[in-house]
Amino acid sequence: MSVISMAQALWLLLAALGLALSVSYGGLPLLGQSVFVAVGGYGVALLGPGGTGLPLGLAAPIAVLLAAALGYLTALSFSRLDGAYFALATWTLAWLAQRVLVAFPDAFGGSEGLTRPVPMHLVSRTLGADLVLTGTVNLCLAAGLCVVVVLALVRIGNGPAGLDLAALRESPELAASLGVPTTSRRRMVLAATAALGAASGVGSTVLLGVISPSDVSPLLSLQLFVAVILAGSAHWWGPVLGVALISALPPATAVIADLVGFHAAPLQGVLTAALMVGAIGGRELLRRRPGVPQPRAWALPIAGPRSDPATQERSVSLEVAHAHASYAGVLALDDVSLLLRGGQVGALVGPNGSGKSTLLKVLAGEAGTGEVRIDGKPHRARSVQDRVRAGVVRTSQRATVLAGITPAQQVALAARGAGRSRQVVARHLFATPRSRLDEDQVRATAAAALRDTGLTHLGDIDPIRLSVGERQLLQIARAVATGASVLLLDEPAAGMTPGERDTLRSVLRGLAASGSAILVVEHDMLFVGSVADWVTVLDAGRIIAAGKPGSVQADPAVREAFLGTA
Amino acid sequence: MDGVLLQVVLAGLAEGAVLGLVALGFSLVSGTARVLHFAHGDITMGAVFVGVLVVVGNSPTAAGLTPLTSLLLVLSIIAAGAVLSGLVAMLVVLPNLPSVSDESRRRLAGVPGWVAGGLAAGLLLRAVLGLLFAQQSYAVPDPLRVDALTPDGLLRLPGGNTLALRAVVVLVIGVSLGLIAERSVVRSRFGRSLRAVADDPAGAALCGVSVRRVVLGAFLVAGLLAGAAGVLAAPGRAVSVDEGAVLGLEAAAAAVLGGVGSLRGAMAGGLAVGLLQAIAGYLLGAGFYDLAPLALLVLLLAVRPQGVAVRSFAWRANGWRASG
Repeated sequence: MSVISMAQALWLLLAALGLALSVSYGGLPLLGQSVFVAVGGYGVALLGPGGTGLPLGLAAPIAVLLAAALGYLTALSFSRLDGAYFALATWTLAWLAQRVLVAFPDAFGGSEGLTRPVPMHLVSRTLGADLVLTGTVNLCLAAGLCVVVVLALVRIGNGPAGLDLAALRESPELAASLGVPTTSRRRMVLAATAALGAASGVGSTVLLGVISPSDVSPLLSLQLFVAVILAGSAHWWGPVLGVALISALPPATAVIADLVGFHAAPLQGVLTAALMVGAIGGRELLRRRPGVPQPRAWALPIAGPRSDPATQERSVSLEVAHAHASYAGVLALDDVSLLLRGGQVGALVGPNGSGKSTLLKVLAGEAGTGEVRIDGKPHRARSVQDRVRAGVVRTSQRATVLAGITPAQQVALAARGAGRSRQVVARHLFATPRSRLDEDQVRATAAAALRDTGLTHLGDIDPIRLSVGERQLLQIARAVATGASVLLLDEPAAGMTPGERDTLRSVLRGLAASGSAILVVEHDMLFVGSVADWVTVLDAGRIIAAGKPGSVQADPAVREAFLGTA
Repeated sequence: MDGVLLQVVLAGLAEGAVLGLVALGFSLVSGTARVLHFAHGDITMGAVFVGVLVVVGNSPTAAGLTPLTSLLLVLSIIAAGAVLSGLVAMLVVLPNLPSVSDESRRRLAGVPGWVAGGLAAGLLLRAVLGLLFAQQSYAVPDPLRVDALTPDGLLRLPGGNTLALRAVVVLVIGVSLGLIAERSVVRSRFGRSLRAVADDPAGAALCGVSVRRVVLGAFLVAGLLAGAAGVLAAPGRAVSVDEGAVLGLEAAAAAVLGGVGSLRGAMAGGLAVGLLQAIAGYLLGAGFYDLAPLALLVLLLAVRPQGVAVRSFAWRANGWRASG
């Protein structure tokens, strides 16, 4: 294998590693990596030596930044799309780019592409250096970049961002409710993918001195995509294996073509396609573990005894006035007002369809309209995360499992929650002292949340093995770990054993004692009677009764709503 | 309207009717199986070449066919469409579909698998046919022979303008076929199962509907329509095996425009995209003929992925979501 073809394969690997970041870590089926490679390749050819004449040291970074901006814009434009439609959109982009390159021959040289003199020079006046980018130098650069990217991928996968991304891939809605900035994470991931793709384009253009539409065809996107999903999971060696296979094809085809007496070019197409179909069909064989990075099990510190509730007393309150909500013209909530106070457990009861869950959603900023006040101050939420940051968290009726992320990690994910900053990824990457401090704090919070919900002994098992009741408790643990002071729990006792109900009861009373405001939707009046300080009864979107559990149960209007008129 | 523009519009609409048939299949599969049929364009072109290979051999010319070979050609192209589409479904799509009961993972799991599977299957089809048909493009004999009805293949209008007879016939047959397909899918028992699966696969499975069989059925119907589109589109111009990929995206543009899952929308979308394509090519230059529908699709997916139709059952079936 010549130096040139080795360097080419490594540049291809760099593009694949970049793509892996989006596909395996970010869960975005991106089929347009060739577009970003094209931006890098054509960018450096147009801007750099032989084009507008900028020095290579300036043209290359500009091309990479341009691609990163384009990647960011792509994520921004298609953030609403479901996985498959995201794939369709980016696949169309790949073809569109191809047609644009051919449609404007004056700018891009048509199907011949652009040629530039090689070897190029990397000149620095300040350092007085003049580096000639021969094949060997280029090879070293490519290898160095690939090693750095692999190390970064491994480190990110094991760190807080890896957890964020795993949650994002498993359940975007849940990730958002735990305070993971889903949209911005996606944008950053795609920008990084694009930058690496462009770097790959720059590298191979500088190596070969030529870039043409056929070098950055949609086929390249497809090959890279298959290379990345071949191993079926976020392991750094997946792309390496995939690219090795794809790079080995042309020489292998040449040998076979010689033996059989076919033309090499069409045969190579058939073999490439057959390899891809076979790889996708047989992918399951390669995948023995669930397709998520497995961050190492965490040793959480043993949480100390619960501190004295009196010292933690918070005077939190959440209030909603004139809440309205409707689904497709059907009124679900009609002018409902409610006040939650710290230190109290409230219960929301009512027949099915009376608007209980909808009211929780209004309070959590997910649906409907109404004036929400937190601690007396009006609060407007543009997204679920805004409410999470303000300390209001809702759990859902059906607990999402988040397969592949241990309960301890899930709670840690939530513990990073509202306080999560943009720099957390960079801090972790370079292991700054600040990141270690943050980490210690996160672990302490997580350990306390697990202890308070009685889940400490289950911290490191596969969440698939949790019972229904344990999943509900885990939801509460996650909500607590976000640091929320207002908890909105939708039927937390559903599917629980009597023992788990007892645990739930003491968990809720304990949380209330430490100053949290809690609202529980519940059908079981015995459970409500034993845990709630007050009860509000909803029927057909209106409040029909409110008061102490005992008095509400005796109310004739309530009896009618539940049992019908006698 | 001046004569040239009239020809352009008519050619666009005829192309659009064909595109509508392809889009109809795409929409049918996407709306019911919740699977985007990425190999659909390749299957359309592939069906034409497989049919030609079976009836005429691998060096076709535009020369006339006997009535018998014409019929054979039409039938084998349509059958090839169904067979190829069914093969794609069985080999790469169904194995990668998550089981219906796996509610929480249905949306994301398997997506990379069947997306890449469909694309790779299309690529394989293109490559194999490319091995057999070595030229850049071919003239395919016309089994319909409608242009023989008038001496020069033109239809003279009272105002002195002329219309290409073949384009008129393609437009009429294409639209009628589309409407017939739409009505029969809506009315038939199979159509009911299709809509049940589209609405709620788990619920349909509980009612005794075999979801896998219905998905396979959707792929087969889409393949038949693709074959019919191939019969209408391929003759009368130079066609190449490689056209399939972009044809598939043009059909996707039509389907998304009309609202994925809406069959009438797909037909209307096809006509609109065909018209757009013809006019963009006429006004801006040949390079924009392919470029315009691709740009339209990117724009639609960014701005209005649910399509321009007000209402379609795809809206719920595909579960567009606004991610936080």
